[in-house]
Amino acid sequence: MGEEGTKRLGPVAANLRVVAALGLRSVKQTFRRPQLMAPIIVFPTLLLAIQTGGAGSAVDLPGFPAVDSFLQFMIAGAMAQSVMLAGNSGGIALAVDIEMGFTDRLFAAPISRFTIVLGRLAGTAALGTFAAVWFLVIAFIFGAPIETGVAGALWAIVLVTLTATAVGGIGAAIALRSGSASVVQGLFPLVLVLLFLSSAFFPQELMVEPAKTIAKYNPLSLIVDGLRDPIISEFSASEAAAALLSVAGIGLLGLVLSAAALRRRLRTGG
Amino acid sequence: MGGWRENLATIRALLARAKNEILRVPGAAIPGVLAPTIFYLGLNGVFGNLIELRGFDTDSYTSYIIPVSLLQGAGFTGAATGVNMARDIEQGWFDRLAVSPSPRWVLLAGSVISASLRSLIPATVLLCVAMAIGADFPGPAGLAVAIVLVMGMAAFAACWGSMLALHYRSQAVAPLMQAGMFLIILTTTAYAPLDLLQGWLHTVAEINPITQVIDAARQGFVGEVTWSETWPALLIVAGLISLLGSLALRELRRLAA
Amino acid sequence: MAAIQVEGLERTFAGDIRAVRGVSLEVAEGEIYGFLGPNGAGKTTTVRMLTTLLLPTGGRATVAGHDVEREAPAVRRAIGVALQESALDPLMTGRELIRLQATLHGLPRAEGQRRADALLERVDLSDAADRRVGTYSGGMQRRLDLAAALVHGPKVLFLDEPTTGLDPVSRKAIWEEVTKLNSEGTTVFLTTQYLEEADRLANRVSIIDSGEIVVEGTPEQLKGDIGKPHLEVALADGTPDQAERVCEAFGKPLPSKDGKVLIELERGAAQVAEVVRALDDAGLLVESLELVEPSLDDVFVAKTGYHLEAEEAEGKQDAGG
Repeated sequence: MGEEGTKRLGPVAANLRVVAALGLRSVKQTFRRPQLMAPIIVFPTLLLAIQTGGAGSAVDLPGFPAVDSFLQFMIAGAMAQSVMLAGNSGGIALAVDIEMGFTDRLFAAPISRFTIVLGRLAGTAALGTFAAVWFLVIAFIFGAPIETGVAGALWAIVLVTLTATAVGGIGAAIALRSGSASVVQGLFPLVLVLLFLSSAFFPQELMVEPAKTIAKYNPLSLIVDGLRDPIISEFSASEAAAALLSVAGIGLLGLVLSAAALRRRLRTGG
Repeated sequence: MGGWRENLATIRALLARAKNEILRVPGAAIPGVLAPTIFYLGLNGVFGNLIELRGFDTDSYTSYIIPVSLLQGAGFTGAATGVNMARDIEQGWFDRLAVSPSPRWVLLAGSVISASLRSLIPATVLLCVAMAIGADFPGPAGLAVAIVLVMGMAAFAACWGSMLALHYRSQAVAPLMQAGMFLIILTTTAYAPLDLLQGWLHTVAEINPITQVIDAARQGFVGEVTWSETWPALLIVAGLISLLGSLALRELRRLAA
Repeated sequence: MAAIQVEGLERTFAGDIRAVRGVSLEVAEGEIYGFLGPNGAGKTTTVRMLTTLLLPTGGRATVAGHDVEREAPAVRRAIGVALQESALDPLMTGRELIRLQATLHGLPRAEGQRRADALLERVDLSDAADRRVGTYSGGMQRRLDLAAALVHGPKVLFLDEPTTGLDPVSRKAIWEEVTKLNSEGTTVFLTTQYLEEADRLANRVSIIDSGEIVVEGTPEQLKGDIGKPHLEVALADGTPDQAERVCEAFGKPLPSKDGKVLIELERGAAQVAEVVRALDDAGLLVESLELVEPSLDDVFVAKTGYHLEAEEAEGKQDAGG
């Protein structure tokens, strides 16, 4: 079919193309299935609205950071929630692909195996970017300023996208290892626990023990604080570095676990 | 068999089937059972110091937020019933029920009653954990009121979920089922007394009938149990069940359209 | 009284999709009625209307003497249904499912248990009765579905493509059961896309295409009306067009199938040698030659212009991706 005249792509370009195609597929899947979109956008937005109204008086508590409003404080937490649930949703979607046999179709194709995982992560990263932009728009509409302006907004988008990718790796690893959507779905309470035991929804110093101590050492708190500082005050190099280090750590863990899970799946078929 | 005996036997059989979801799918029930407790512990740990603000008529946030999580558990359980019904419709199982001669209300009653009974599981777990971390025991009257309201909310949530399942006939509306319950329960005095709520939430909580239900379920955990606080909540829950139940039944009758 | 009476039944879906366009038929008590047609012809939609799962948008129908719209509960009491999508719960055991079905039809508990045991024995599922349905093979699930449809002793049994996707052994088992049921007096309304199934089981057959019945009769009548055998010629070389030009002299050309040239022969087997000689004289090398007597597929071709079985094969190819 005219292959003699077709110029073949180099292996890197070919793999990138596959990653982009699979990433696009996973984004479309998410937007076409409300069950996947809801945890990423709908529930975090609802929770943001409710917590802002319900716990908004907290800004009057002694020791609460100086903020324009409770909404301004909460935006970073909403982004974190969205990203964690995006990782979980991505894992569920990959597990569904495994259950349906779609991944077998990919494994049988002449592509690098790991592009299958990277494609899923690309999709999760894109959703992370979307979530970051969404909440920045919410902040704009409801009058919560980003104190560092455009730079702070861009930083938020970059950090959220990286976090989504890192968390997505963990979700993908669990999906590849278990092959079961209900197992990945069953981790939803754990995601909630991680969020609550962090500074996502309240300043760590004002939380109640033992949540306060756990939040201090929770890597998610480092990411949220790195996101929040440019929104409510100014950039802090140490906070930013800590956030990036935390993301890198989670990302590395996700990479190692998903590579191992993929190898196991290819070796044993299950 | 006679009419009412036949209907009762059918409801019992549908309850027995619903039990399988918990007993025969390992781990499937755990998120629904644990999530309210996790939410409770989370809210307690995160927002516990809100109690320092003036306006709370208790010094225990741990006790204050119990009803929120109790009703959330009921809401999740009821919404899950709707999701299961949507799955049954999509996969063809519901045709088996639809083609049977059972009255349509009997088919619905099976789902709703099962949700109501199942809601006691997360409620029991939550109450045990709450007592363990120092929440005030509500006394027999407070406990009874809370349990009745939990079961009533679960039935209401199941009617809501069933209505959506029968109308849309797709699991894709699961988020709508869950979000609906989420919203109606949290846009109340869930987090703080009315006077401490801000902006739009204050307005909504004032008119949201579930605020009355939350406050009634809070009796015993915070303050005394009184009939004047209890009966409006019971009436509201009964009214919501009647309304949503009628709508769900209408959708069931229109399933063939 | 007819077991099933249908007059001008119609069903139009949103978007002006006319799935069933004025179907009329009558099924006598004790008959096996075959409803044959390709995917998307309107078979399942018709069945869903007759079993009260879907309301007609036009026409009327009665089943066991009851109107499907106005007397739906009475219809449901009188019918058993095994639908195209096996309406089974994978978490239930076979025994639990049949007992539930018995309860749904108002049978007392002891009676329901007795009938469940008897039916499980009948469909050869006694050994698997206490296993979860999710562990059953496709054939076992269909047998269970059939057993569940029979627990209340229905007057009319609706089977919607009962053997689609089954292996030949399982299919044969279902056929035997259906024949036995009918011999016991049950009226059976059977939809199928398998010609052999309709030919073998049905007393009368109607063919539905694009929502309309195109022909109705006993299989023998329908094949007899078509009448003539045809020759199927596969060439080793040469194009089908060349062969068709040669064969035209001997009879009416039919639509080609699987690359073969088909020609209807007025005098049947007597003309075969003449056709072979003519093809040889034209320099066309014949790979295979088969004289085929009329089948329901021929009836289908005559009435619709295309093969049901070629459509099946294409459909399977498309489904396999």
